Amino acid sequence: MALIVVGVSHTTAPIEVREKLALRPWEALHSLARLREDRLIREGVVLSTCNRTEIYAVEENDGAAARISTILSTRLGNDAAEFVYVKRDREATSHLFGVAAGLDSMILGEAQIQGQVKKAWEECRAESGPILNRMFQSALLAASRAREETGIGRGAASVSSAAVQLAKKIFGALSGRRAMILGAGDVAELALECLLAEGVRVAIVANRTHQRAQSLAERHGATAMHYDQCWDSLRDVDVLICSTASQVPVVTVDRVLGAVEARGDRPLCILDIALPRDVEAAVGDLDNVFLYNLDDLRAAAAANLEQREENIPAAREIIAAEVQKYWDWVAGLIAVPVVREFREEMEKVRSAELAAAFRRLGPLSPEQADAIEHFSKSLMNKFLHEPSVRLRTAAANGRGLGVVDAARYLFALEDKEIDEVEKGESSDIA
Amino acid sequence: MPSRFTSLRRPSQLLGIGAHATALAGLTKETGVASLTGLGPGLSFAGLVLAISLVVVESLAREVSLTLVAAPVAALVTMTANLAGMRPFLEPQGTRAVWLTMHIVLSFVGIAAYATAAAAGTMYLVARRELKSARFGAIFRFFPPLDTLDRVNHLASIIGFLGLTLGVALATAYSFQYRAVVIPQIIWGIAAWLGVSALVFGRLLRGWQARRAALMSAVTFASVIALYVVFRIASLNRGQFL
Repeated sequence: MALIVVGVSHTTAPIEVREKLALRPWEALHSLARLREDRLIREGVVLSTCNRTEIYAVEENDGAAARISTILSTRLGNDAAEFVYVKRDREATSHLFGVAAGLDSMILGEAQIQGQVKKAWEECRAESGPILNRMFQSALLAASRAREETGIGRGAASVSSAAVQLAKKIFGALSGRRAMILGAGDVAELALECLLAEGVRVAIVANRTHQRAQSLAERHGATAMHYDQCWDSLRDVDVLICSTASQVPVVTVDRVLGAVEARGDRPLCILDIALPRDVEAAVGDLDNVFLYNLDDLRAAAAANLEQREENIPAAREIIAAEVQKYWDWVAGLIAVPVVREFREEMEKVRSAELAAAFRRLGPLSPEQADAIEHFSKSLMNKFLHEPSVRLRTAAANGRGLGVVDAARYLFALEDKEIDEVEKGESSDIA
Repeated sequence: MPSRFTSLRRPSQLLGIGAHATALAGLTKETGVASLTGLGPGLSFAGLVLAISLVVVESLAREVSLTLVAAPVAALVTMTANLAGMRPFLEPQGTRAVWLTMHIVLSFVGIAAYATAAAAGTMYLVARRELKSARFGAIFRFFPPLDTLDRVNHLASIIGFLGLTLGVALATAYSFQYRAVVIPQIIWGIAAWLGVSALVFGRLLRGWQARRAALMSAVTFASVIALYVVFRIASLNRGQFL
């Protein structure tokens, strides 16, 4: 028995592979149920996002990892071995904790993954159990601590979030601000969604093809405007996002000067996310105009990422501490009952052997009987001390599940106590 | 780490302000004269008012960075006060003392607000330059948004104008009533009032915002401080605020 994670992520597999291996919740539950029915796993949770598909499981039999790899290969329609990684016990725990904290994300420290980990765990609760429940709870706690106590998630780290961050650095909250979008393509739509999510009140969409502008505006409750009429409206907007497919700059000084002058001292933030650029560079020289192109946005995101990278060691320290706490708990859950059972079994043997010895020896004085009994107890304690300590230490070091299984096998211990503890833990967590 | 300091910040600010106020009250009790007059007590009181106004601004604007920039100024003023010696310049008792005390308190409130406006304005100019040139260093990360700095500048300049207007009005009336005329005080007081008035009228009547208001507050306040330094150097009466 071991705690394992088998999966693929953006670090091992290209997007074409990841999209084929992505599992919807019901598919994940179905796969886990099959693995349980086949007595390959005791517990399982599937984490499937656009950047990773990972199956976390408590192994029942040694073949679980191989079987999960086979499931992934079948789904891919090809051998997935070159993309798949398998991690066990402590390494698997550290991996999940790092994933939840965003340390393994494509954009370091991104916050979305924490919610995805929580959602994955909740969706698989039917196939999860005390060991994975506790591991996912601890992972979420470690991720929260890493975000709160270090700068791992501070600042915007993608181009779209950097655009919003820059606008916020000028206007503070964007709620109630006015924005205009030039262009009606996918990038423009994404920008519009970002602004609406920040509470921007009126979004005006202007495009050379008015129908496309109208269609985009209708989808998002914005106002569509003809391309030639939009320049005068610039005097009323705070943020202008340019994302047209034009090969020449469409926002020129001549076109915007009148509106910019009419704005007085009010700043105007222009985010040019088009390639080639939509805004003439000289527009940025106008007073109270803050112009940013794609390179500037990437630079802002990179600066934030640099800051985040400096916080990796601090985040890893927090994760290491939480991983240790988790394995201490596992040791308590798994090793302690086994040690207790082991001692009880030995105590039964000792008592039986002692009674037999007393029968063979005949009448003894109370002092003699006490001395023999003391000798038997002392001998047993000395024999059991080292295995007990080592079993607990091994469990706390993240190698406990295998060692515990070995102890059960060697000393012919039953499985009943762990099952009872598991039931108790389940009700605690539920 | 940041949350630990955040939780300690407000109690330590209030503790510092409380200790400062208690010390000034103790001095007043000891000397029997309000600890507002004289170079040392005057500067010390100015430091206290500046600290209080920063805490108020911090609470209203929910920004700590302004305090981080301006708090050293308050500390420097208080330290200078201690170096100058905390001897009050003895002033008349009774009604004249009350009149004078009100003038001094209102003037210091006005100057502290004006200083806050200037600090916000200076930060605005620095942050604006960084944002215009797309530099994303420490200033970009830690300075508040331009809009916040502009609002702090606006609010502080209005409070500064009200405080200084009342302070100067009381001083004028006091001078006429008791025929007590101190030329450097009159010139400096009027200069400070003109500076903050230009800022407020520019904002309210001419629609100045953002860079123009920030520039105006920083330049006029720097001029007012420069004028004070000139008067202090030229002043023969070293024990007085002016």
